[in-house]
Amino acid sequence: MTGLVYKEWKQNRWLILSMILCGFAPLLVLLLMRGEIPDASDAALRIVGMIAGFLAAGALQMLVLRGDDRKLWGYWITATADGCKGFLRVKYEMIFAMTVLLLFTLQCADRGYCAAAADMGMTEVGEISGIAVLLCFLQILLRAIDIPFVYRFGSRRGSLVKMICMIVLVIILLALLILNADRLDTVIDTCNKVFSVQNSSLILSVGLVGCLALYYLSYRITCRLYLKGVEQYDR
Amino acid sequence: MTAKKENAKRLVIYLLIVFAFMLLFILCAKPMHDSNTANNVICMIYSFSPALASLITRVVTKEGFRDMKLHLHVAGNIRYYLLAFILPLICLSAMFLLPVIISGHADWLGGFTFSNVLSNALLLFALSAVQSIGLLGEELGWRGYMNQNMEPLAGTPGTCLIGGIVWGLWHLPMDIGGYLNGNGTLSEALGMTLGRLVMLTCFGAFLMWLTKKTDSVFPAVIAHFMYNESQGAVAELLNQGNIPEDASLPLWTDAVRYAPMLLTAVIFTVLLLHDQNKARKTA
Repeated sequence: MTGLVYKEWKQNRWLILSMILCGFAPLLVLLLMRGEIPDASDAALRIVGMIAGFLAAGALQMLVLRGDDRKLWGYWITATADGCKGFLRVKYEMIFAMTVLLLFTLQCADRGYCAAAADMGMTEVGEISGIAVLLCFLQILLRAIDIPFVYRFGSRRGSLVKMICMIVLVIILLALLILNADRLDTVIDTCNKVFSVQNSSLILSVGLVGCLALYYLSYRITCRLYLKGVEQYDR
Repeated sequence: MTAKKENAKRLVIYLLIVFAFMLLFILCAKPMHDSNTANNVICMIYSFSPALASLITRVVTKEGFRDMKLHLHVAGNIRYYLLAFILPLICLSAMFLLPVIISGHADWLGGFTFSNVLSNALLLFALSAVQSIGLLGEELGWRGYMNQNMEPLAGTPGTCLIGGIVWGLWHLPMDIGGYLNGNGTLSEALGMTLGRLVMLTCFGAFLMWLTKKTDSVFPAVIAHFMYNESQGAVAELLNQGNIPEDASLPLWTDAVRYAPMLLTAVIFTVLLLHDQNKARKTA
């Protein structure tokens, strides 16, 4: 296992370290855009920067999967003592660690900015770390969806198949919505009851734990699909 | 040089560096009080000082970076990870709630509904996975380095005790910081220091056991996070209850407050000794 960790570090260390840079995205956006959009508030610009940082980090996280979709590598790693499960576990752990590193940097940078702002007498500046935590879980969820597609169909075909699946899902949801248009009020009422203020914290916490559970489930699914995917690589 | 002398040398260097950071923190009290930025930066560096000290010691003594216990070792150790999450939550909840219940004020616990408790526990569980990484700065030093070098010299119970005291003393600048800045009395600050010293010494036994069982610092990181955050979560739920403004608990309930943590310390020290004897017999 140490060997696999070493391999990932040697191959992807710049991508891993780039998470730190993405963590400073809110401050970069604030510095670059403050003059351009003087009307926008500090918090709004920082939130935009944070979303940009998460998007960039997401793209970089997907890059660490690049280069593994080779038939020879797939068979070789399956034949090692750690097997494809060990290989995939290190990949999942590494991507998770990248997300955690991003969140940590974002929170440190945010706290630093708020402290500096308070020293300059800007009392209205507040921390935006709470949003970062939610975005972090969203990113974990997105990776949980992305990774199985990449390993089952290869990185190029994987993203295409994922997009088709998403479009099909949206079409089904829209069709269901149109077909049940007359019962829409009942659905909205039920949603309002379920997502009430009293239930919101419980739903939020269940959702966050659900994201972690889905990430683990994604790992188990990828382990099952991996060898099927390897058959299709290099075509 | 014998192995014990080598361990002693490493430990002395490590502790000197850690307490140099502590001295630096105390000397920076004035700029920290005057500037939020300085306070933020110095606190951040200080929170990582045990890890920095371990890294510096490893470089100085040329012992290398092999046994830093940075592998997750999740497979086969899920039960220890779960324990790292659950036990601090139970201990801290008991610490806050037992005195209230025993002194006959169970009606204050109106905030502890099933939904509230469940949502808080799940939230802490989720956050412990993504937000506990900051505590690696402490655990890499205390459990990942200091305990390893102290155990051959002081034995297992000695390491729990001395290690816990050192860990507690490291928090001293934060405990007396308020008093030095003119908030609170000296007796309050000393009370807080002593309380933390007892709690951390007890809790340290559990963290040491976790680290030895899993050969990883990450379960200790999670347990440490849970220890810190559970206090806030339980206190928040207590505040949601109908506690009168002038509420106070009898003095004897303080003994009950420390009982869960003392019990934890005894159990895990016994388990550590049991594992040590088992290892000796098989060797």
